[in-house]
Amino acid sequence: MATEKRFSDKLKTYLLFAGPTTFVFLTVIILPFLFGIYLTLTNWDGIAKTYTFVRLDNYLTVFKDPVFWNSFLLTVRYVLYTVVIVNTLGFILAYALTGNNVRGQNLLRTGFFIPNLIGGIILGLVWKFIFSTVLVFIGRSLDISALSYSWVANPNKVLWTLIIVSVWQYSGYMMIIFIAGLSNIPRDLIEAATIDGASGFNRLRSIVLPLMVPSFIVTVFLTIQRGFMVYDVNLALTDGGPFKSSELISMHVYKKAFLAQQYGVGQSQAFLLFVLVAAISLTQVYFTKKLEVEA
Amino acid sequence: MSRIKLGRLMLVVALVLSLSSAAVLAQNVEITILNSKGEIQTQLEEIARYYTSITDGVSVEVIAAGVGQSPFERAVALYASGNAPALLMLDAGDVLLFEDRALALNDEKWVADAIANSLDMATHADGRILAFPATVEGYGFIYNKPVLDNAVGGEFDPKTINTFDSLRQLFEQVAGSGKDALVIAPEDWSLGAHFFALAYAAQSADFATINEFQAGLKNGTVRLAENAAANGLMDTFDLMKEYNYDRLDPLAGLYDRGTELIGEGEVGIWFMGNWAWPQINDFDKADGQYGFLPVPISNNPADLGNTQIPVGVTKYFIVDGEQNSAAQQQAAKDFLNWLVYDPEGQRRFVVDANIIPAFKNITITPADPLAASILDYVQAERTMNFVLNLPPDHWAQVGASMQKYLGGFIDRATFFQEVEAYWQGL
Repeated sequence: MATEKRFSDKLKTYLLFAGPTTFVFLTVIILPFLFGIYLTLTNWDGIAKTYTFVRLDNYLTVFKDPVFWNSFLLTVRYVLYTVVIVNTLGFILAYALTGNNVRGQNLLRTGFFIPNLIGGIILGLVWKFIFSTVLVFIGRSLDISALSYSWVANPNKVLWTLIIVSVWQYSGYMMIIFIAGLSNIPRDLIEAATIDGASGFNRLRSIVLPLMVPSFIVTVFLTIQRGFMVYDVNLALTDGGPFKSSELISMHVYKKAFLAQQYGVGQSQAFLLFVLVAAISLTQVYFTKKLEVEA
Repeated sequence: MSRIKLGRLMLVVALVLSLSSAAVLAQNVEITILNSKGEIQTQLEEIARYYTSITDGVSVEVIAAGVGQSPFERAVALYASGNAPALLMLDAGDVLLFEDRALALNDEKWVADAIANSLDMATHADGRILAFPATVEGYGFIYNKPVLDNAVGGEFDPKTINTFDSLRQLFEQVAGSGKDALVIAPEDWSLGAHFFALAYAAQSADFATINEFQAGLKNGTVRLAENAAANGLMDTFDLMKEYNYDRLDPLAGLYDRGTELIGEGEVGIWFMGNWAWPQINDFDKADGQYGFLPVPISNNPADLGNTQIPVGVTKYFIVDGEQNSAAQQQAAKDFLNWLVYDPEGQRRFVVDANIIPAFKNITITPADPLAASILDYVQAERTMNFVLNLPPDHWAQVGASMQKYLGGFIDRATFFQEVEAYWQGL
């Protein structure tokens, strides 16, 4: 009887504080998600009132679709490069800007963070102009052959335009997380190491980096997840072109569902993407968690 | 006691509220229009404001499909949220997908006044007319007359361009005058939905034959490499590539820069349609002297396509028959009638918004030179089919193959193979 009451009390408290959020989460995330999985079993085009069940045909189509897998591999490449560069650069920036002897720290921090405040579409358009007009103009004026032709129009270089813009956009954001992490490292540890005669590099390797693992878990998770889900920059900067050589997976899924009007197939791709990204992110969190140390 | 009082009070308030809202409904009809022609958004909003001001109790609101968003997708989202507008402007190819949702408009007066073939894409197999033809559009080579006048040394006559060789000669003349002959917009929609669609349109003046050709591509019996029109079109494209302003970096061009180049007379010709006029007008240095040339595909002037440009109804309005009340549906129908039959409605729709109307009774014409040029072709009966019943991702897939060909990444045989593979994979 006592436990029963305690449970209902718990429930009351839960509903009082988390009830609205739970309700919104259920209706806005979980229900559409389940309904989406249900739609993968149909051949719905998005608007018709009738549709037939095709069982697992959509998944079969996706597994056999080389364009989908190409786009997925392209996205994996993009994610690998951005995760490595964004985190390295973000950490270097944070490390450089937390020292005592840097003038104008706050100004620099703000400056590096600002790109993250600009919407992806605007970013894409600005950089499209830079890549296809400004850099080409500079390249042709100064006779630099690597810049004389638009990178956005070159199927071999277009992925790098996306990577460069993403790095520019996210490094500052990750920097802020790293700065928060760095300022949480107890000063006495660093001082003790210094007294023991550890050089700057040794302090970084043996004390700072191990203590920064929690920050890295967060930033790597964020960059992986954002990398796989990127859409706005892709749309505004390259629109998947030239000839689909920069069509990342989210854009491919969107175009399949809404432009090719194959809602069922697109939804199956989206669900598959969810499974893959969830698997990758959870593995990452699981393994990096093992690297955590106690101060 | 106080609780009962409160309950009574709330009942009374609820009653009053429901009464007043019912009264509001009876007087006021609000309808929403989904606009998918971004370039006329401001004009359409102005029309809506005016219409609201002249009618008693009808208010019209315009919402836009986002830039780069397909109208189909926007409409689907609006329907899914139970919030469908009364009028939805859709791409021609998407109209029949809304067969369960759109109101049949067979009894409307304008059906009789619609120009020939303008209702083809809106007529369901069961005979229902599901949509109102919103605008006629056409495309081809847009030319800047002063540039061409200067190149040919005298008055340029567009009728002289009716063969592949005459086009080559014109390109040479423009190049000789120190300008670039043309610029090719490398966008996939332009190359896929407009340029390569000429290969289908040039098969026959008869729409049924074009459909047969598409069916042949689907079942693999049509070989593009053996098709005269397809090869002729690609010959012309090779010629265009040779004289392209962006020939060094053909995929780097942008639609917006095309409007600037043609408007400022940096190039003589741009492959595009009349929808580009508002932007060209911003850069206009030719005093509005522009027009269309056909895209010739052979050396026989009598071949279809050498003297014709594709013209068709590209956008339709459907009236929602599902999520709007009868009063709203009626208001939507009235609004369409007002556009077609009221002199002020005609003027605002045709002149202010630069719409080429699809109705015989409208005699006024838009002021822009590209629309005027299209009307010239229509009156001279020098038009061919604007093929709009292509599969929904045709523009993206075939457009991507066209981009590869434009950039020199594949040869013609591979290009034809890719297009055939696309059709067979449907």
